[in-house]
Amino acid sequence: MTVDSSVPSPVETIPETPPQPVLPLQVHLKGEEGRLLLLLPPETPNLDGSPTSLTWPDLWLQLKQRLNAGERFWQTNIPVHLMAQDRLLDGRQLQEIADALSESQLKLERVYTSRRQTAVAAAAAGYSVDQLSAAIAFLNKPNSQTGQALAEPLYLQTTLRSGVEVRHPGTVVLLGDVNPGSSVVADGDIIIWGRLRGLVHAGAKGNAQCLIMALQMEPTQLRIADNVARAPEKPPAEFYPEVAYVTPQGIRIARATGFVRTRD
Amino acid sequence: MSRVIVITSGKGGVGKTTSTANIGMAIASRGHQVAVVDADFGLRNLDLLLGLENRIVYTAVDVLAGECTLEKALVKDKRQPKLVLLPAAQNRTKDAVTPDQMKRLVSELAKTYEYILIDSPAGIEMGFRNAIAGAQEAIIVTTPEIAAVRDADRVIGLLEAHSIKRIQLVVNRIRPAMVEANDMMSVQDVQEILAIPLIGAIPDDERVIVSTNRGEPLVLGENNSLAAVAYHNIARRLDGEKVEFLDLNAPPSGFFARIRRFFGSKPRS
Ligand SMILES: Nc1ncnc2c1ncn2[C@@H]1O[C@H](COP(=O)(O)OP(=O)(O)OP(=O)(O)O)[C@@H](O)[C@H]1O
Ligand SMILES: [Mg+2]
Repeated sequence: MTVDSSVPSPVETIPETPPQPVLPLQVHLKGEEGRLLLLLPPETPNLDGSPTSLTWPDLWLQLKQRLNAGERFWQTNIPVHLMAQDRLLDGRQLQEIADALSESQLKLERVYTSRRQTAVAAAAAGYSVDQLSAAIAFLNKPNSQTGQALAEPLYLQTTLRSGVEVRHPGTVVLLGDVNPGSSVVADGDIIIWGRLRGLVHAGAKGNAQCLIMALQMEPTQLRIADNVARAPEKPPAEFYPEVAYVTPQGIRIARATGFVRTRD
Repeated sequence: MSRVIVITSGKGGVGKTTSTANIGMAIASRGHQVAVVDADFGLRNLDLLLGLENRIVYTAVDVLAGECTLEKALVKDKRQPKLVLLPAAQNRTKDAVTPDQMKRLVSELAKTYEYILIDSPAGIEMGFRNAIAGAQEAIIVTTPEIAAVRDADRVIGLLEAHSIKRIQLVVNRIRPAMVEANDMMSVQDVQEILAIPLIGAIPDDERVIVSTNRGEPLVLGENNSLAAVAYHNIARRLDGEKVEFLDLNAPPSGFFARIRRFFGSKPRS
């Protein structure tokens, strides 16, 4: 993977198509007009019928990881509005969410929910509560699957450690390393400002125009749309930023310098 | 302020218990009051390594059940009066204890002891969560093997999520000849992936196994094996001293030190 951009280097292409990925939603933080929205994945199945199987400990872990990775990207003490959707949250869980937020200098202020029990717990804990009907909550569901534009890019600053998977219905920009055993699945491009050693899948919904970029490309596996490739057995002696993209012959990797200019 | 440090790894058999016993003894020999806690419920063996098995009367579970005071369950070591062991119950299930209970035990110990070292079980299940519950810092033990490093990486991520921010690395069982021959990851290779500060590197040494079998931690003995010195150095670094890393590769003839070769400091945080 060390040939310059004029002669893109072939990487070993694995012929069979990977299973079409389902994207269960993850915990998502989104800045919006002086507030930060904390969106929890819904408890009910996704529109495509796949269940969201996030249990409370997993959800908590994801929240902590997203907070640790995002801290730099929003102002401290910005009010947080929790979009709990149809998740059942009890008082203890709301407290744990508030604790996690306050560790990142963020303050839970308002709770939106379609569940009566959650609304009662939130009110008892002293938060402002908006109880939406399930129907409205459903309409407001971010990223309903049908033919939508991509979500805004997700910026993270962290080391993605083994066992962590980031899924995002848009482009992912990560400042840090993607370690072996971790993965990024994005419907848009994937840009790794660091070492890429895990598994990444760009254009996961099928867009073969998507790109994967890394300062140091040593992936376990690369996927773009339904193309799969893995890195050569022997790592190159020297690394420089590279771009992976799809050609009719499969995934190719080229030196990043001048890539955009020389392409097509 | 006492320091509560969990010693953990993810993968089993990499040297957590050996490290807990030796680091605990080494810190105690520096004059600190130390409590070592066996959080490996169901599979205890910290007591064996410390040679204290036959002195156990009560365990942490008895304390939690209100059957005895904490003071009573602590096993004193006559070779090193500054160290005590809080044993785990051997024949109870791991679910006999909750994270909240562990927190209570640890904060009770923190009233008396300056250092509290918690020997964690392998894995990331309940036993692990109990072990980290009361800790403010962690020492990650790994061997220079891909599977061990992968698990260590995962555990570091979990510790970070649990707001344990001070995490330091021990690379155990290094065989310099194999590293030299490119048959084993170097300490630097391990550090490059885990990206946490190194606090010690221990050579693979059969005297470690011998001392384990005798119930006498290496650092207690007279022999000045590199492994023993490496453990003492970890204790000094924990104490805030700046200590150069050993050159594990030095031939016995006392060749010129090539200290920076394997452990050259990397400019990473
Ligand atoms: N530096 C070393 N050199 C040689 N042998 C070692 C070294 N460190 C540990 N060992 C041996 O490796 C074995 C496992 O060590 P230990 O019991 O400390 O691991 P552990 O991580 O606590 O295991 P578990 O996950 O089962 O609790 C023991 O037999 C021990 O003597
Ligand atoms: Mg052990």
